[in-house]
Amino acid sequence: MAWREQSPERGSQVSSWNPGGPASHRESTLDAAESRPAVSVGEREDFVDAPKTSVSSISGAGEESLTSRPHTEHTVENAEQNPNLNTDSTPARPTDDQILAQENSIREAVAESSPFVGDKEPLAALRKEYEDGSAVFLQKISTLEEKYQAIRRTRGDGNCFFRAFIFAYMEDLVQSNSLQERNRVVTCMRQWKPRLIAAGYQELVFEDAQEMIMDQLNSLGTADPVMLPALETNMRDAGVSQMVVMYLRLLTSAELGQRQEFFSPFILGMFDDCPSVDHFRQRYVEPMGEESDHVHIVALTDALQVPIRIVYLDQSLGAAMAGVGHAEGAAVNHHDFVPEALQNATGPNAIPKVHLLYRPGHYDILYPSKSA
Amino acid sequence: MASKSRLLKEARECAKAPADLGISLQPDERNIHTWRGHIRGPSGTPFEGGTFELTLSVPQNYPLFPPSVRFKTKIFHPNVHFKTGEICLDILKGAWTPAWTLLAVCQAISALMADPAPDSPLNCDAGNLLRGGDLRGYASMARCYTLDLASAPARQLS
Repeated sequence: MAWREQSPERGSQVSSWNPGGPASHRESTLDAAESRPAVSVGEREDFVDAPKTSVSSISGAGEESLTSRPHTEHTVENAEQNPNLNTDSTPARPTDDQILAQENSIREAVAESSPFVGDKEPLAALRKEYEDGSAVFLQKISTLEEKYQAIRRTRGDGNCFFRAFIFAYMEDLVQSNSLQERNRVVTCMRQWKPRLIAAGYQELVFEDAQEMIMDQLNSLGTADPVMLPALETNMRDAGVSQMVVMYLRLLTSAELGQRQEFFSPFILGMFDDCPSVDHFRQRYVEPMGEESDHVHIVALTDALQVPIRIVYLDQSLGAAMAGVGHAEGAAVNHHDFVPEALQNATGPNAIPKVHLLYRPGHYDILYPSKSA
Repeated sequence: MASKSRLLKEARECAKAPADLGISLQPDERNIHTWRGHIRGPSGTPFEGGTFELTLSVPQNYPLFPPSVRFKTKIFHPNVHFKTGEICLDILKGAWTPAWTLLAVCQAISALMADPAPDSPLNCDAGNLLRGGDLRGYASMARCYTLDLASAPARQLS
């Protein structure tokens, strides 16, 4: 429990007390020292072990980002409670409601400018973005054009990987009319229900979202010409698209939780602020809008047993690596994320049908050329 | 609307919550997006013996985004604004995940009552007492306010 873990730290801070204080709270600590009589040493330690916490199930809830509050608050608070301080110069702090309202209005503005998933566009649209830009990008786009014919953009809201993945996957189900694959993934999701419960999620947390994604999947796979526009409409609808992303995030998180031993070296090595896999799941996987990294991709491909190819478009000139490049031009690296169970398989399931284009910070959908 | 279906399920769940949880929580009869909660002050803390009322206002896009929660009962705690009742808790902001429920939020707030985080105070007086190591001073102030303002008969928590 957090209190007990903190106690030794608090004890040691007390014993090495100095007005400079712990790093990020230097100013407010100084304020405190000035405005308040010194505390006698004898009183400091005797309460440390006293409080017994009664709720132990939700550890870690109150800590890390608590410390990220801006300093202005301390000043405002001091001013309010100490009439001797001049309050006129301190701007009023916005309330949480105001902050949320502002965030919502920003999100709405973004929503109007780009749908969750855009229209399929020829790859030339990508070239246009870089016309006046980096030569490396233009060379790489030329290389891309040898293998890919089109791109579909997704909204850059931190959920783009999940959104791009599920749209590309569903679109492929429509195009290939593969009832077998559709039934496999629906069964897979059904089997996830007890696993999600075992991973600690209450059923009410995921059941609506699971029903929604299964309804979407069950409606696919019939060779109906209106199928693709219907899919586009649904996946652009906030009610559907957001719930689907939420469900995929929970699956990813549960997969990480169930294979902690496998994932912990990657997570603890890459994310300095994550003391555990569980912390990573709660902080970087489950919240909407948290961007996806290799770890997320590996976990999701494993969770659903769907391989993914990620093509990297960046400034690097690493022609030596395996890629879709050729000798003279700029090679474009790609990486196939193939679930372990399929790695030695040769069937059609082992070949990635979902191709995503990664540019630093963002994923879009790529469409291979028919001939490639 | 997805939030409504989820909230109705949560309401049923809350009605079944065991009494020894020390938390009662229910939606407004006319508006499923406004909830009222009562937390019994955790035992072994200066809040023991008090009952603290919370108002939860749940956005339309819940559970993708967090509810906004405030203490309606005044409380002397480093992470609660003394005047507005606003709560500084990471899961109500950036660390929110749809896996949390309103009941779990109240449990987290109960845990925060027992485990204050004085290094990021909304109530600097309370935070300074703890940061200065004056735990006895903090406890007596908090207990004083609990007795004075939070000790009405706890009928909601029968």
